[in-house]
Amino acid sequence: MQRFNDLTNVERNVQKNGLVNLVAAALIFVAALVVTTYSHSLAGQAGSVFLGLGMLVAFTGWFQMRLEENERLEKLEIEEMARTKGESTLFAAKESEAFPARRSREQFEKYFVPGFAVLLFLLEAGGAWLLWRWVARMAAGVPTDRAMASLSIFAIFALLLFMVGRFSVTIARLEGQRLLRPGASFLLAGAYVCVFIALGIAGVEAKFPRADFWVARGLCVLLGLMAAEILVTLLLEIYRPRVRGRVARPLYDSRVVGLFAQPESLFTTAAQTLDYQFGFKVSETWFFQLLKKNLPVLVLAQLAVLILSTCVVFVDAGEQAILERFGKHVATLDAGAHFKLPWPVEKTFRYRTEQIQTFVVGYVPDEQSQRATTILWSVAHAKEDNFLVGNRAPVTIQNENAGTNGTLKAPPVGLISVSIPVQFQITNVADWAYNNADTTNLLEALATREVVHFLAGVDLLEVMSSNRLEAAESLRAGIQASANEHQLGAKIVFVGLQDIHPPTTVAGDYEKVIGAEQTKLATILAARAYAISNVTLAGAQAFTTTNLADATRLQLEVSRFAQAALFTNQIPAFEAAPSVYKQRVYFQMFAAATRNARKYVMLVTNTQDVMWFDLEDKIRTDLLNATVPNE
Amino acid sequence: MKRNSLTIIIGAVLVLIFALLLFVFQVRQSETAVVATFGKPTGTPYTSAGAYFKWPWPVQKVYKYDQRVQNFEDKYSQALTADSTMLMTSIYVGWKISDARQFLQVFPGDPSVSLPTAQGKLEDMLRTAKSAIIGKHPLSDFVNANPQDLKFDAIENEIEQVVQDELRTLNYGIEIKFLGFKKIGLPESVTQTVFDRMKSERQVLISLAENTGKSEAQKIQSAADAEAAKTIANAQATATRIRAEGEAEAAKTLPIFERNPDLAVFLLRIDAIKQSLNQRSTLFFDERIPPFDLFRNLPTNAPGH
Repeated sequence: MQRFNDLTNVERNVQKNGLVNLVAAALIFVAALVVTTYSHSLAGQAGSVFLGLGMLVAFTGWFQMRLEENERLEKLEIEEMARTKGESTLFAAKESEAFPARRSREQFEKYFVPGFAVLLFLLEAGGAWLLWRWVARMAAGVPTDRAMASLSIFAIFALLLFMVGRFSVTIARLEGQRLLRPGASFLLAGAYVCVFIALGIAGVEAKFPRADFWVARGLCVLLGLMAAEILVTLLLEIYRPRVRGRVARPLYDSRVVGLFAQPESLFTTAAQTLDYQFGFKVSETWFFQLLKKNLPVLVLAQLAVLILSTCVVFVDAGEQAILERFGKHVATLDAGAHFKLPWPVEKTFRYRTEQIQTFVVGYVPDEQSQRATTILWSVAHAKEDNFLVGNRAPVTIQNENAGTNGTLKAPPVGLISVSIPVQFQITNVADWAYNNADTTNLLEALATREVVHFLAGVDLLEVMSSNRLEAAESLRAGIQASANEHQLGAKIVFVGLQDIHPPTTVAGDYEKVIGAEQTKLATILAARAYAISNVTLAGAQAFTTTNLADATRLQLEVSRFAQAALFTNQIPAFEAAPSVYKQRVYFQMFAAATRNARKYVMLVTNTQDVMWFDLEDKIRTDLLNATVPNE
Repeated sequence: MKRNSLTIIIGAVLVLIFALLLFVFQVRQSETAVVATFGKPTGTPYTSAGAYFKWPWPVQKVYKYDQRVQNFEDKYSQALTADSTMLMTSIYVGWKISDARQFLQVFPGDPSVSLPTAQGKLEDMLRTAKSAIIGKHPLSDFVNANPQDLKFDAIENEIEQVVQDELRTLNYGIEIKFLGFKKIGLPESVTQTVFDRMKSERQVLISLAENTGKSEAQKIQSAADAEAAKTIANAQATATRIRAEGEAEAAKTLPIFERNPDLAVFLLRIDAIKQSLNQRSTLFFDERIPPFDLFRNLPTNAPGH
């Protein structure tokens, strides 16, 4: 009877532990959900899922413990009754009727536990998958003012879970409570998960905004591993030989969680593996024993090194750092190594001060435009903004409503695309850091405002053609004055005006104007060539004409004088034989003049016939015979 | 035992860290902090950098705000100018929290929520003021090829003044430090008309250049033609004169022909016939024309022979 009572007390204590685990898991799960909602921590979300799973496992473990206890009580009662009453008709009854508690436990293990394991797998796998995708979509968003509170609360969760989990794990190990172990491992692992969440939030606070994100990713991986493990366990469970009397490990008891909760158990596993591999007791060597014994010290030493590492800061070349002690600016550190008090007492914030930094006003460069070797006005080489610019109409235009929509009147302004690189240096890092939030953005806004102002007051063609260097210097001075006025602590080193052109849509028309100017010049030059040719030829023709006239004059004079001389000589001959001379002259002329003429002599006088003469020229026969080719 | 003491040390360090985190808060040089006890802002805001004591949450809660000048850019929005032109503008604004406690009362809650809320309110005010002031000015006050006619700065000051007055009246605990136009443009449809007009201007210039060229060329050609014609005319006149002089000189031989006019005329006729038969001719003669009169007495095909 005493033994019965002792056993019952032990079982009840274990059950109580299981219940404490369940309550702790449930409370901290709910609290973690609330804190996560408050802090917007991604890692907190993933950790809450983990804690929720732990709560389910703790509940199942506790419930199974109750069933086993009932079975044990039932068995003890029956044994007690059998001792007092001897043979009983109870044993003659059917076993299921005689042991209802055992029957319940068996049914639970047969149906509920595998079902729960499947549910656990689905939750873990689905949780890992959905969280992974959700975390990728979400921006890291732990507000800095909530970070410290969230960090503290998660640290408290870690402490609570650690104490409860550590105690339960020890009890489960010492008393061989296999059903207490899954929930206890989850609690202990939950403590470490909370530590990691707190570290992630601390990372955000320490200006590593992605720390929370990466912790969340790590927890997703952990959930995935747990899902994979439980899937393998389920598959192996199908082929596991059922030996009567052998107590099976619960399907929901995760080895991954156990390893995560008790990493020191890894030593045991690793030692066994090494012993097997090397063939002697590697685990008994002094080094392995030293490592095993001093692991907590080593971890602590690592933490100490981590803290000490925050006492040294290395400022790179071209940088300056602001040193703050409890938030107060106490020094500005130049390039080199510097000692400081550990975080969070002293913190440093680095800025690139010597380095020339650049932003571009007017366009957003893209990769393709960066690769281009030729830049044309008529081809978009980046995402360009159009700036309003003054417009003096180059000529009088009668139709000002040039728009496609008749109701819209084009205002007397022009549009222009510019790309103006602005290079600057931080000259006073304290001004840069403390006077304005998001100073780079402000400087860009100020520079853009100067450019907008400048372009709004100039003529489009003037700014594109002349005074570029003066305009660039004027812009630089304007931006510098604006930066000084707002105490940015920056020096504007360079402002470039290398790319000012009409928008791509109208750039082609501007090019056509240049083409038209060239055509104009070509036309004028052609006319000049024609003029030169024409005038020169006219001079030549005039020369020819006067020369011909001279020749004609000479010919006339000479021939007339010759004729006069001939006539003087002909007179005596004529006077000597007037009629003969005339006849002779006549016949000489007749013979000479009609030598080549076609002559018809009509000698017939006694006929009445009419003679027709066709005096038309005959067409050449070869032309008549020519054939016209068909198309 | 050794292990237990190590655990105790670790636990003590953790407790110390947590206690520090719970009871102490830091204010950076760029920050101002307000402590709220059970939700109610208490004490004066902490504007100096340093570490300060507080009761842990939920007794006291610290609201930290950035006390630097913060800037944002409002939406690129459309407004009508005094001369009924659609103008798109975007304004950047520099503002800061001037009274953190008042700010917390007007915009309660976490700064990550209250700051965007305040910025949203400010943006609403800004857009209203912007539209109102733009409506008072013609387009030429914003864009003008004569820079002395621009009223850029004055317009910015007017908008800032309107928003500043409103903030003062509403007592939000924030103030405007500066503002300026970051972008000025035209709506897409109007932009298209400007493009069309710019194209038309270019077409005018193209036409001007081409026709000026043609005109210049025509002038040059006609001047050249005139000069050539003049040269040729002068040459022809000279030639005529020369020929006339030749004629005059040749006329001096005429008295010689007068010594026997009959012969002279006969020879001129002979010469005329010779000249006229110079070309390809077809001549019909009968037996009366010498020398064919020699055929007159020859036998013919008269009847009876």
